[in-house]
Amino acid sequence: MNISRRDLFKFAGISVAAAAVSGCTAATGAAPGAQNATSKMLGKHQVVIIGGGWGGLTVAKELKKIDPNFDVAIIEKNDSFMSCPFSNCNLGGIKGVSLSTLTYDYSQAVEKNGYGMLTAVVTGIDRENKVVYTSKGGVGYDILVLAPGIDYNYKGQFPTWDAAKIAKARRVAPAALVPGGEHVALDRMVKNMEEGDVVITVPAGKYRCPPAPFERASMIANYMKNEGLKGKVIILNETAEVAKGAAFKETWKDLYAGVVEHQDNCKIVDVDFDKKEITYVQTVFANKDDVEGVKTTKTLKYGIFNFIPHNMSNPVIEMAGVATTPDGFKKVKMATSPEKPVSFATATDANVFAVGDVVGHAIPPSGQSAIWSGKECAKEIAHKLHGKSYSVASALPYKSANVCYSMVNGNPEEAIMVNHEFMVQGPVIGSKGSVPKGDEAGNKFRSTGLGKATRDWYKGAMRDLFS
Amino acid sequence: MDRRNFLKVVAGATVIAVNPSLIRGNLYAADGALYQTYEKAQLVDAAGKPIKASALAKEVTYIFNYPYASTPCMLINLPQPTDKEVTLKSDSGETYVWKSGVGKERTIVSYVAICTHQMTHPTPNDSFIGYVPKAKKTMAYDKSGIIVCSSHLSAFDAGAGAKVLGGAATQPLASVVLEVAADDTIWAIGVLGQDKFHDYFKEFRPELKEFYGGPAEAKKLVSISAKTVKLTEYSKEIIQY
Repeated sequence: MNISRRDLFKFAGISVAAAAVSGCTAATGAAPGAQNATSKMLGKHQVVIIGGGWGGLTVAKELKKIDPNFDVAIIEKNDSFMSCPFSNCNLGGIKGVSLSTLTYDYSQAVEKNGYGMLTAVVTGIDRENKVVYTSKGGVGYDILVLAPGIDYNYKGQFPTWDAAKIAKARRVAPAALVPGGEHVALDRMVKNMEEGDVVITVPAGKYRCPPAPFERASMIANYMKNEGLKGKVIILNETAEVAKGAAFKETWKDLYAGVVEHQDNCKIVDVDFDKKEITYVQTVFANKDDVEGVKTTKTLKYGIFNFIPHNMSNPVIEMAGVATTPDGFKKVKMATSPEKPVSFATATDANVFAVGDVVGHAIPPSGQSAIWSGKECAKEIAHKLHGKSYSVASALPYKSANVCYSMVNGNPEEAIMVNHEFMVQGPVIGSKGSVPKGDEAGNKFRSTGLGKATRDWYKGAMRDLFS
Repeated sequence: MDRRNFLKVVAGATVIAVNPSLIRGNLYAADGALYQTYEKAQLVDAAGKPIKASALAKEVTYIFNYPYASTPCMLINLPQPTDKEVTLKSDSGETYVWKSGVGKERTIVSYVAICTHQMTHPTPNDSFIGYVPKAKKTMAYDKSGIIVCSSHLSAFDAGAGAKVLGGAATQPLASVVLEVAADDTIWAIGVLGQDKFHDYFKEFRPELKEFYGGPAEAKKLVSISAKTVKLTEYSKEIIQY
């Protein structure tokens, strides 16, 4: 998408409004004669990364590690970081885990790794002139990396809902896949819970961290058990797919019988947030040849609603105007060629790369996948800047590219895990997962060893990003 | 150890520290890059008796702390001779050569047991890193007989200088340079590869205080001998996938 003059004014309008509301004004690098926040250029960097999450931080760190002379800057809207991975342990009341366990400042990472960071909201991208517009001004680039993460597609899922209803949904039934206020709100709701059931929805299509809703159900059930709360945790799954399914289901049967209840094929029709009532249609299929099924409309009262709507690429992707897949998520189409069958460059623009949730590769949208991708993406960019060539395919197949744990019990601490191998799969990077039995005898999926590994994994991952 | 032997050890260590080129072991960096000699230390068992190379059980992970009082290293007697002259690359892009295993059949190897990914290491409480015997399966790789860190499933080739086979690690484990003397005793003399000791001391201050008394104690250099025990004796719980 080339930004037209009119679009530019639109961005400018948004940005000025945002600045007025928050009371912030751009402070540095104002170009003489700048008319407003967006038309002013703040400067230019060799590599600009949009998003200071798992993927973006890794690309920045790796680039500086490969060549300290690279001029790398991250644009991130938040001034501190909160981790979504491991956050369910906080909801579960796991010993020593709190919101502060999940929270990191960016200062140490910037100081230690030597990249720059601009705290600003991206308002537009002009690929033709290689400029990212932000709430604080424009930033030029040679190479742009898109690592903006996800957004929620309430509008696509509920076309009849108005903005006020969507805003209410965000307030009173937080999805808590995008860290920050949503996680704080859900934490408050769970910790103040007295009675009623907790309902968690699982969206169809690609969404961030596929095991998250199921781990969350297990952890909230653990919390309720410890607090002596009577309610249930009901999972309304839009499909019948459960990531690490056998392992979760074994745990629910063993530890949370009558507490965690998983319902397949439940499509949410409407929610009355005042009455705390969900209306959904459940389809029951007689067998695997039955494609029609029998549909029943049901209503469900809730005490707490963790409403996870359909996910989609963050709007930054649309601003960049790169080609995306036709599904609801709008994954970024990735470059492919005979020399480089798979890549983190976008199909649309050789100077624009993508990592993290938004990639069009068939790899899980997880924290560790983003780190793995970030390292490979950095290698591609570094070679390009050095005038050389690097193919990600040369690193594939790659064992244990993604390792992901889910804590399922608090006393003793027990977890389950999945391990993915990545490989070239046609024009994209594909993955194959396996869920092992965790205990020594191979009887159960969950084990205390995996519980310890969950903590160790998280600490290691945070060292990867921040020290 | 009598006084005379003690002096001999100290003297020997001094010579080596002054002139690394005199090292007669067959496991060291050919070009000297990323190679650091430390005081020579003899590997002894829990009772203080010298460990004999030929008496090491096959495919068992032994742990000794070296070159610092708090930095754990693995000692493994592999089922087959190692590769020779393996060229390895550190994260900073430097290449170095890992010569081979030691012992009569070149089967004995030693690596710093601090994962080069994010420094997961054995503690008295638990261990996620160790050798996976050939008969045991691992999640991390399609063959066993390798070293696995089960925190992020990094896999290292035990018989090839701990070269990375898979997982989150991007550089080999640092190796401990060993010598096997004519009397079959084993000596640690230096560390090859990019160690993470500095970061380790910084990152694990609370743990080092708990297990070793404080940063100064943790950073004491090992001298004369290093107690070597099986990993199962070193850590209460072994976590391996």
